[in-house]
Amino acid sequence: MRHLTEQELVLHHYHDDESPAIEEHLASCEVCRAEYNSIRRVLALVDEMPVPERGESYGSQVWSRLRWRLGSRNQRRTWVYGLAAAAVLAIAFFTGQWWQAQRATSAVTVAAGDSSAARPAGAPASTPGVQDRILFVVVTDHLDSSERMLSQVVNSDATRGLDLTSERDRAAALVASNRIYRLTATQHGDDRLAMVLSDLEPVLLEIAHSDGKLSPAEATSLQKRIDSKGLLFKVRVISAQTSGHQVPAAQKGTTTL
Amino acid sequence: MEMTDAATVSRARGGDSDAFRLLVEQHSRPIFRVAYRMTGNEHDADDVVQETFLRAYKQLDRFEERANFGTWLHRIAVNCALDLLRARGRLDRHYGGDPEEAEMTGAASSDPQQDRLLLSSELRQQVAAAMEQLSGNERTAFVLRHFEGMPVEEIGKTLGIQVNAAKHTIFRAVRKLRQSLEPFVRSSTCDI
Repeated sequence: MRHLTEQELVLHHYHDDESPAIEEHLASCEVCRAEYNSIRRVLALVDEMPVPERGESYGSQVWSRLRWRLGSRNQRRTWVYGLAAAAVLAIAFFTGQWWQAQRATSAVTVAAGDSSAARPAGAPASTPGVQDRILFVVVTDHLDSSERMLSQVVNSDATRGLDLTSERDRAAALVASNRIYRLTATQHGDDRLAMVLSDLEPVLLEIAHSDGKLSPAEATSLQKRIDSKGLLFKVRVISAQTSGHQVPAAQKGTTTL
Repeated sequence: MEMTDAATVSRARGGDSDAFRLLVEQHSRPIFRVAYRMTGNEHDADDVVQETFLRAYKQLDRFEERANFGTWLHRIAVNCALDLLRARGRLDRHYGGDPEEAEMTGAASSDPQQDRLLLSSELRQQVAAAMEQLSGNERTAFVLRHFEGMPVEEIGKTLGIQVNAAKHTIFRAVRKLRQSLEPFVRSSTCDI
């Protein structure tokens, strides 16, 4: 008859292995029963581990030290909402400016007739104006901020977990702007940018909605998701293209932005 | 109790600092116990308690009202304690080391009742010393399973290891504790 191992007995004690076979074996085997009782006695002794007493007033003492470190929840919420609102307003303004510029360019193109024959092969359909450049700057800033955040996650030591407490509010603001840029890119047929922003959004959301401290497992999982999509590389490439103002060839999916 | 917590959390979320004070006063002592068991140091445990409530305050919006506030708070405390242990590299380890008490333990006594108390005190010292022999992961996994009753799966997630590894870590901790404490169990079985 095979006796139970020490590990099986420990697992059984903590109800992590409730196989009926173990129960039956313990009932019939005196050796294993003695071993099991020995484990139980040691663990009962561990319950004697001393923990310094804290009196009834301990909670009040904790509060008196803590209260000065707490900001007002309302103040914090107002600050976050204010930041998000400012971001949305700025984006809406620049998007409107850009849209106006697109319409003006189209009107000029229509008025001048079809000039595509005179345009060199591979040249953009329209020359971006000042407003376009403003939008490029805004999108580039957005991509740079996102890239820095992704780099921080990817380059961290996941085995030690990851503290994203200070990044959550920034990630929330980036999510808001990311949605608007993604929609704008989709509307203007820039599928490439839209796709990168679409891949970026869930990662930003995860950071924004995290409880601040990621466990090593959570940090590793996040790093893997970023790596598996080659997200950091894509963001760097598209950021370099927009900052270098390299407007891709006038073909479907790579028009403006 | 849970209904009271839920209502208080709801008020605290709305910016009512008195409500948050009630939560702090109600939960500080149990949080201190888990913090002390994990860190083995009173001052560190006090720091963990502070940090726990600070994080909880910042994350109140993320707390799901259907959940148990005490359990949620314990999870935060465990993470805070783990962060502290990592930051210290387990350099500051002294479990239950009150030198005065240790000195008293060694004192002779002719009173059988006093002898019994001293034996009990000595046993607690031995338990403290045995806990000190555990590695950071072993101590954490053991405390979470033995004292906190946390499921092995959750311990694995907390420590960033697989379930089987978590089980094995707990087993290693128990084995070490047995090696340290079994002689005392044999000599004082009637006391347990």
